[in-house]
Amino acid sequence: MSKLFACTELSRQQLAAASAMPQARSPISYCGMNARIAPQLPSVLCRMMRIVALCGCLLTGCDGDGDAVSGPAASAAATLGATATRPAASASTIMPPAVSMGVTDAARLLEQATFGPTPSEVTRVAALGFDGFIAEQLTTPATTYSGFTYVPHLAAPGCHFNAASLGSAASTCSRDNYSLFQVQRQFFAHALTGPDQLRQRVAFALSQLFVVSGEKVYEAYGMAAFQNLLLHDAFGNFRQVLEDVTLSPVMGWYLDMARNAKANPAGGTAPDENYAREVLQLFSIGVNKLNADGSLALDANSQPQATYDQNVIDGFSAIFTGWTFAPLPGTQSVWMNPINFQGTMVSFPEQHEPGTKLLLDGVVVPAGQTPEADLKAALDAVFNHPNVGPFIGKQLIQHLVTSNPSPAYVARIAAVFANDGQGVRGDLAAVVKAILGDVEARGAAPSQPDGGHLREPALFITTVLRALGGRSDGVFLNDAITAMGQPLFTPLTVFNFYPPSYVLPGTNTLAPEFFIQNAATGLARSNFINQLILLGGAAPEPSVGGSIGTTVELSSLANVAATSADTLVDALNSQLVHGSLSSAAHEAIVTALNVLPADDGLERARMAAYLIATSQQFQVER
Amino acid sequence: MHRRDLLKHAGALGAGAALSQLGIFAARAQTVSDYKALVCIFMYGGNDGNNTIVPIGASGYAAYAAARTLIALPQNTLLPLAEAGGAATFGLHPALGGATGLQAMWDAKQLAIVANVGTLVTPLTKAQYLQLNTAKPASLFSHIDQQLQWQASLSAAPSTTGWGGRLADQLAGLNTGMSIPSMISTAGNNLFVTGRASQALAIPTSGSFALSGFHNSAPDGARLSALAALLGVDRGTDLLDAAQDVMTGALRSSAVLKPVLEANTGAVNGYFATQNSDIALQLLAVAKIVEARATLGARRQVFLVSIGPFDTHTEQLNAQQTLFAELGPALKSFHDSMSNIGAGASVTSFTLSDFSRTYQPNTNGGTDHAWGSNHFVAGGAVKGGQFYGKWPELALGSPDDLGTVGRWIPTTAVDQYAATLASWFGVGAGDLALVLPNLAAFAPATLGFI
Repeated sequence: MSKLFACTELSRQQLAAASAMPQARSPISYCGMNARIAPQLPSVLCRMMRIVALCGCLLTGCDGDGDAVSGPAASAAATLGATATRPAASASTIMPPAVSMGVTDAARLLEQATFGPTPSEVTRVAALGFDGFIAEQLTTPATTYSGFTYVPHLAAPGCHFNAASLGSAASTCSRDNYSLFQVQRQFFAHALTGPDQLRQRVAFALSQLFVVSGEKVYEAYGMAAFQNLLLHDAFGNFRQVLEDVTLSPVMGWYLDMARNAKANPAGGTAPDENYAREVLQLFSIGVNKLNADGSLALDANSQPQATYDQNVIDGFSAIFTGWTFAPLPGTQSVWMNPINFQGTMVSFPEQHEPGTKLLLDGVVVPAGQTPEADLKAALDAVFNHPNVGPFIGKQLIQHLVTSNPSPAYVARIAAVFANDGQGVRGDLAAVVKAILGDVEARGAAPSQPDGGHLREPALFITTVLRALGGRSDGVFLNDAITAMGQPLFTPLTVFNFYPPSYVLPGTNTLAPEFFIQNAATGLARSNFINQLILLGGAAPEPSVGGSIGTTVELSSLANVAATSADTLVDALNSQLVHGSLSSAAHEAIVTALNVLPADDGLERARMAAYLIATSQQFQVER
Repeated sequence: MHRRDLLKHAGALGAGAALSQLGIFAARAQTVSDYKALVCIFMYGGNDGNNTIVPIGASGYAAYAAARTLIALPQNTLLPLAEAGGAATFGLHPALGGATGLQAMWDAKQLAIVANVGTLVTPLTKAQYLQLNTAKPASLFSHIDQQLQWQASLSAAPSTTGWGGRLADQLAGLNTGMSIPSMISTAGNNLFVTGRASQALAIPTSGSFALSGFHNSAPDGARLSALAALLGVDRGTDLLDAAQDVMTGALRSSAVLKPVLEANTGAVNGYFATQNSDIALQLLAVAKIVEARATLGARRQVFLVSIGPFDTHTEQLNAQQTLFAELGPALKSFHDSMSNIGAGASVTSFTLSDFSRTYQPNTNGGTDHAWGSNHFVAGGAVKGGQFYGKWPELALGSPDDLGTVGRWIPTTAVDQYAATLASWFGVGAGDLALVLPNLAAFAPATLGFI
């Protein structure tokens, strides 16, 4: 059985909700009904879900509590290797009572917490309310990257890309195993149809903090494993994220911690500094001391204070020695185990720096400790540094809500990072909930004039598709997102596609996503909309198994267009920008629509959708 | 490295009536006198200058090989850089090319090498570096900070402009009547080409540079009008204004540059016929724009291209081999094409990079972040075939090594390097401080390589 598609595991709440719906009958119609929860389940996936019976209750029956009975369906799920993780909450978690929220507020929450609102989701979440939605999303298991298998770092002769023969078995093998093509496609599948929308959003944000790039990690199974790590840890504890990322063989390869050996004075070599530098500069504390509100903590001369110097880098470099790839199954483990992105790295004490190591703030790790003990001391020191809350918290705010949080907003989130209310430091679920629930995030409009942020290409693409009934196998989307400056999982450097500190030239306004917004990439966005909406999208790609192309569905908008041009623009205004279009913008669009015959609803729908989707009023999410 | 092709679309925005709706006017052909262009080649990640230019004489090479151990280049592969009198003290990394690469440019006196250039706030000896209160660049050895300091030519505090942008600002008066921005980047947005009053136009290196989907029909005309109207309303907040400005500029510039970038029959095309590396495509795009300088009304242009990644913590030998094999031929082809179109002495290219790398390798067959590095300046106006600046003593722990693993304290500042280029570009001696505010900390102000 092909493992090409990940089977989504529905939460028990969704199953209960679905079974309460009058239309739910057979699993197929249930899957169709599931379109309310996860809009575009390809029919192939629905058939697989029936077989796997993760729609479990409906096939095998449920006991009174709604718990699935065990049986062949459950073991079938295990055989197929469905990789959904278990929900964090216990089986008897009581969902908060629904306290409704405003429709516009709900739409904005979906813009911040998912890959784009859909009309049915806005209605559902408005009724469910903030707490209910967050609780549901925190307990929805991950939709993971699946179907990938180990390949050696050096491709076999039958698996080399041949530009002269793109459709050959060798080129296909290379594309599917030695490029990120299938991982990138699964990203779009998850973003467009996955039920675990918030987890996918947070994991995507984490992938831009804990950067591993396809520039160096081009084995599909490796990148899939790393992204699954982030999905798994997205609502866990930040200390766990630090540890899992540090011991990831994928990160070990990308930033050279794998096979980093102790100093060899005779051979004239010293430990590699790459991971030591980046784990401090990018993954935890940054280069300068911060106040809890994210501002620089200045010294008596109003100068920034560095968090570490070269001596500290030397210390951390020594900490991160003695780790290598896990041995391939059935082989003896040696220091030079071949590149293996499965599992976690393993230690070789004889390759570990034996001396003392200087950490942050003058702390010295004693000599002679095991690699594991040294690692724990180092990561504990990093985790407990006061910079982490504001440094990580502010960037999560920027990815989810706004490029310019007020210092007070950052301080509130840093406080939750320090203590989630239960005495726990580093609780990412609490941090995410606090970010989305903050007064600066909620409401029908941002509280600040420059609230919000430019939609990064990934969000721009998925928001359009989700709003307009889009379906895609990700192939066309993958080309489009590259032209827009955000080749998925392949930033040029470990500094991500754009730095969090980028300001609009001539202003003090932070605008990270604008770092990749320019004439070339801006035109690419507009031309993508032209192809998607006016030229029919993309046809299926013969060289891609199960390809369905990319399309949007405008027939319902065409019906709305029959009423009037104003009604059509109102509908798109609601679906794309939660009703925030100005009357001047509205009028400009209606003027153009009136050139088209009033009875050509589809043409009018296309033109209106093009104009709003290409507008800068839509590019900037507020 | 090959970038993926951008989408190719039919029906790109044509000239004529549609353009006038957007306030774009056809460029007027002019004759251009005294044209000059600077082409910045940013080697991102920190190129190891120590394996780019290598001592080639007997004792120099022996010391090099002893220190660099597993990453030392074989002596007989180095390409000699013959100096006056014929002897060579240094050689080029072999992949940078002999007859079809940089060695030929050196021999033709069109390539200069400046030794040990780096970010400085004030000149530093090793003793001064080790003192606590000496002014040093912030966040040495941090990629992003050092890249920004090279681009800004300012190291004491963050800058909001780059020296390429300040150059464009200073000489804006020479570019009145230009139909596109005077700075162009094939490497996206970048501080180097950000000025107080101007920013670079970012262009793609493949695919069409145009808005697609508009033909000569009433509905398309109405749609274009609405698009233009949407760009003009709702002004007044920073994010939306910036987005609207980007798109307005994109429509204006792409209408002018589309035919230039798509031209395949110009004189410059043939020089790149056998090269499709990313750096070659970028330099070809630059060459096409230079070829069209009269049509564009340009007199002073600043270009930014980039190549990388050079952050060779591991596998340095392979990485530099691959990247240099692309850079050397592309650079030679570029300058040959400039000579062919009569702009040989008008166009100067130069390299920047985050930093050099540790003379002593690490245990992974690579090197770590260092400081002062060697850089190339190329073009017909360059006083080539010579070294400039002061070589560090290439020994671990030497007076030029800030520590023990071979991080050279720069003996030439970025400011001086930049000032030499700015001076050639047309900035008077008295105005150099406007472009390079910290230049007075260093002497001499310019280095004489062009």
